[in-house]
Amino acid sequence: MSWLRRCAWFAGSTLLAVSLAEAQTPFPLQSDASSRLTRAASVMYLFPEQVEVTAGKQSMVPLHFRVAQGLHINSHAPKDSYLIPTVFAIPAGAVQLKSANYPAGADFTLPVDPSTKLSVYTGEFVITAQIVAERGNHLVQGTLHYQACDNNACMPPKTIPVAVDVVGK
Amino acid sequence: MKRNTVVLFVVLFLLAAFGWAGWANWESRKQAAARAAAMAAPADLVMPGSDADLPPTIAPMLDKPAPDFTLEDVRGKKVSLDAYKGKAVLINFWATWCGPCKIETPWLVDLRNQYAAKGFEILAVSEDDLDPGDKQKLKEETQQIASFAEQMHMDYPVLLGGDTVSKPYGGLDSLPTSFFVDRNGKVVAAQVGLTSKDEIEGNIRKALGGQS
Repeated sequence: MSWLRRCAWFAGSTLLAVSLAEAQTPFPLQSDASSRLTRAASVMYLFPEQVEVTAGKQSMVPLHFRVAQGLHINSHAPKDSYLIPTVFAIPAGAVQLKSANYPAGADFTLPVDPSTKLSVYTGEFVITAQIVAERGNHLVQGTLHYQACDNNACMPPKTIPVAVDVVGK
Repeated sequence: MKRNTVVLFVVLFLLAAFGWAGWANWESRKQAAARAAAMAAPADLVMPGSDADLPPTIAPMLDKPAPDFTLEDVRGKKVSLDAYKGKAVLINFWATWCGPCKIETPWLVDLRNQYAAKGFEILAVSEDDLDPGDKQKLKEETQQIASFAEQMHMDYPVLLGGDTVSKPYGGLDSLPTSFFVDRNGKVVAAQVGLTSKDEIEGNIRKALGGQS
């Protein structure tokens, strides 16, 4: 009985201490040095590198991306028709992209033009791809097309590779 | 024994609940921090300000002749930079998808109206992608750029196919980028990224040879 009480007391106090420490420490921002960005690094595909799905059946694959600090990219549904949406694609082959579910963009305004709201992705975001794969191992060379800006300038639209090893079983 | 089991389950449940709450809180704050950083971050692609802050690909162009080019405008008329010798010219590289370009365009329209009589002109070179191999698509793309220019009251030449001339102008990794060319065809100033109307005006005056 006493060991159980000690265990409960220990768990409770540990959790309390962790919660307090977490509440007092703001999430650390990256340093200024790391925010110097290049065109190539504005969006990174993070994971997964490999997924296992049931062959012939529609499967959900969440794809994780990260927009570099200080930049934003248009969401899949930008508020202005001239803006370039973020689009994920898979070329025709043994793995078909049935649809892609995009996260809603966050409202964003440029400091010099607070009246114009943009719909953007910043930080990490997840696109959920609905795929159907044939049986076997397939290295899918998907792509993400996007257009990135910071507060003062924009980079030309870019397409990055999204490589995923899809195992259909 | 039964009571012990209940207490054990309660402890495990509490641990799981705290763990989940901590994770959800961490994720939420991480996203909020990224958004805050994007909103608050200074320009990272460009460093607006003095000429000394220009990217290394553009800085060497100062005090050199502006590379000549001939491009078609949105109406199909050929326009050549060389034809503007004797005038001060602002070569403004922009695109319809570029938010900061859209912000500075009304300033350019105002300044062009203000200084045109003194021998000042703007050549707006669009960096929008074109498909020269697909006539119908090219027509639609040209029409889209023309509509945008009309909406923004860009009453100066709007030229197409800027990517074909971007190399001699330093590669143009970010937009807007502007070059200020004096009456002799020499680049006297350049700006990368959104600056201010005052700064643009100062460079126009420089291109005009100190006239106001």
